[in-house]
Amino acid sequence: MRETAQSQARTVVVLLLLLATARSGSSEVRLTTDEALALAFPGCSVEREIVYLTDEQREAARDLAGAEIEVRVLHPHVAHCPDEDGELAVAGTAYFDVHRVRTLSETLMIVVSPEGTVQRIEILRFDEPPDYIPRQPWYDQFDQQKLDSDLQLKREIRPVTGATLTAQVTTAAVRRILALHQILSAPPATTDAQR
Amino acid sequence: MHARSIRRRLLAALTTVALLGGPSLLPVGAQETAPPSDADRIDRLESVVEELRAELEALRADQATPATTPPASDTRDAAFDELARRIDLLASEIEDLRLDEETVVADQSEHGYGPAASKVYRSQPGISLGGYGEFLFESFSSSRDDGSPGGTKDASDTLRAIVYFGYKFDDNWLFNSEIEFEHGGSEVAIEFAYLDRLWKPGLNFRGGHLLLPMGFVNELHEPPVFLGAKRPQIERVILPSTWHENGFGIFGEVGDLSYRSYVVNGMEGAGFSSGGLRGGRQKGNRAISEDLAWVSRLDYSPAPGLLVGGSLYLGDSGQGLESPTGEILGVGTTIYDLHAEWKWRGLELRGLVTHAELDDVAELNRALGKIGSASIGEELDGWYLQAGYDVLSLLDRSAGRQLTPYFRWEQFDTQSAVPTGFSRNPAQDQEIFTLGLDYKPIAPIVIKMDYQDYDNGAGTGLDQFNLAVGYIF
Repeated sequence: MRETAQSQARTVVVLLLLLATARSGSSEVRLTTDEALALAFPGCSVEREIVYLTDEQREAARDLAGAEIEVRVLHPHVAHCPDEDGELAVAGTAYFDVHRVRTLSETLMIVVSPEGTVQRIEILRFDEPPDYIPRQPWYDQFDQQKLDSDLQLKREIRPVTGATLTAQVTTAAVRRILALHQILSAPPATTDAQR
Repeated sequence: MHARSIRRRLLAALTTVALLGGPSLLPVGAQETAPPSDADRIDRLESVVEELRAELEALRADQATPATTPPASDTRDAAFDELARRIDLLASEIEDLRLDEETVVADQSEHGYGPAASKVYRSQPGISLGGYGEFLFESFSSSRDDGSPGGTKDASDTLRAIVYFGYKFDDNWLFNSEIEFEHGGSEVAIEFAYLDRLWKPGLNFRGGHLLLPMGFVNELHEPPVFLGAKRPQIERVILPSTWHENGFGIFGEVGDLSYRSYVVNGMEGAGFSSGGLRGGRQKGNRAISEDLAWVSRLDYSPAPGLLVGGSLYLGDSGQGLESPTGEILGVGTTIYDLHAEWKWRGLELRGLVTHAELDDVAELNRALGKIGSASIGEELDGWYLQAGYDVLSLLDRSAGRQLTPYFRWEQFDTQSAVPTGFSRNPAQDQEIFTLGLDYKPIAPIVIKMDYQDYDNGAGTGLDQFNLAVGYIF
């Protein structure tokens, strides 16, 4: 048994060394903001806006999100895509959110549909070890979710073992962005968006 | 307010930007204080921009009021527009600083991966730090199930204080480690220290001192992650967490499957006992490697919250130990577990079953001088079921707090079978009921308390109450 195990181990060592020293066929690409936007809105024009949030808007968003709103300047990226008639129509609004996961940060792109639901989530940057990134099906839970009391971990969003903190901060980020989008999309009488 | 005032404000803002962005330009004396963090810089920049923007809007409003201001000239409008443009540029710069755009510039390789979440890498090489810890108070019953004195004193323990230290050399190579101080610092151990060669999501390489990928707790043993002030006993005596050995192997994810497969130094059979396999761990300390082992794990996660998997350990544990007749013992060791977990809303269910088989146990007993019911088990079996429900998840606004009553039922026997000529000790046939409460004021901090009812075949079970505090960062 021992000789067999050692022989097998030697074979595995040689194979691993060959694989590890082999030149990989592809080099990694990180997701830039432009790439993320192109991924979400292929063939569309994207307009980057700047919104200076008032204290009232931040407070309203805080109440909706259930968490403090720290950002004061927001950059919605509004996508206009051709509809069936070839006319440009708003297809969604992308927001980039940076937040701390454990001790290091994560950057997400959260796309909100014209109806105010989650359209897409992409990770642009994740400084924690990759082990803390939930699998893609976990992110898929956010598809078409709207901002309500069910949009929470252990409600509509199931937790994930081994990436608890990532799941929590991601859910909070989605709630924050949906709240801000809702505030900015409200009729002018109740908002003070400057652009 | 005049446009010139706005210009002065803008100049002040630009000066602030210069100072925040270039501390090296400051006089030597000014650099003695700690430089502001990026977050501080962003906050201060945002404040400046917000203030400028508000003043510009106020000025515009003033200009639009005929009673107080003369009609705006084209020149003045142009100046306002230019100021607004510059403010927007500053705001954009702030956004870029927040996103750290420079660090996410794409490689233009034509063979680059497609942009997807699973292909995100940490952007910057460098050091990472983390850690966790747990404190445990145990209060034992004064008597055993059969009425005999308990004989165990209550105890409190600074059970673990852990430091994670990692270093990312580049996007392909990283080092990660866990340095553990146990029992108030009386024991120091490296629980893992390995190098990763990240290649593809489906195939990566790992070598060094590794956590064996078996069961639930061995790899995920940070206190906020598992229910119970103490780990399940099965994951201590049959799956001997924390189990870490020297080795190398591969890991990755393919679709809904994830796997890890390592070759490691085998256990040391001389450390086995009637109470289980825990003493067979070598923990990377000049580990005898006459015998190697292969350990693998496969998990299937078809839906968020659902995990089904298993792990298998195969190897010899003789490590050159000789029988009384001078024969080198193999002590073939096979351990496997099947596990499943389901998380749905506030509910979390977990189950695990494990089985271990050892060869050459009679010879091993004789080599170690074990007789009668002190025999090492030829077979070991165990299972547990666990359920918890976060009752605060029922509230619309739990503010991140979690309160989870939980229950665990485990049964195991470290002497399910013993060799002919030896006997089983009924005290090794155990059943433990644990009823407790897990409270997290915030996700990384947990306070746990539970009561454990220990029963065994000899009627000498000793119940206990536990209180634990844990953290992770």
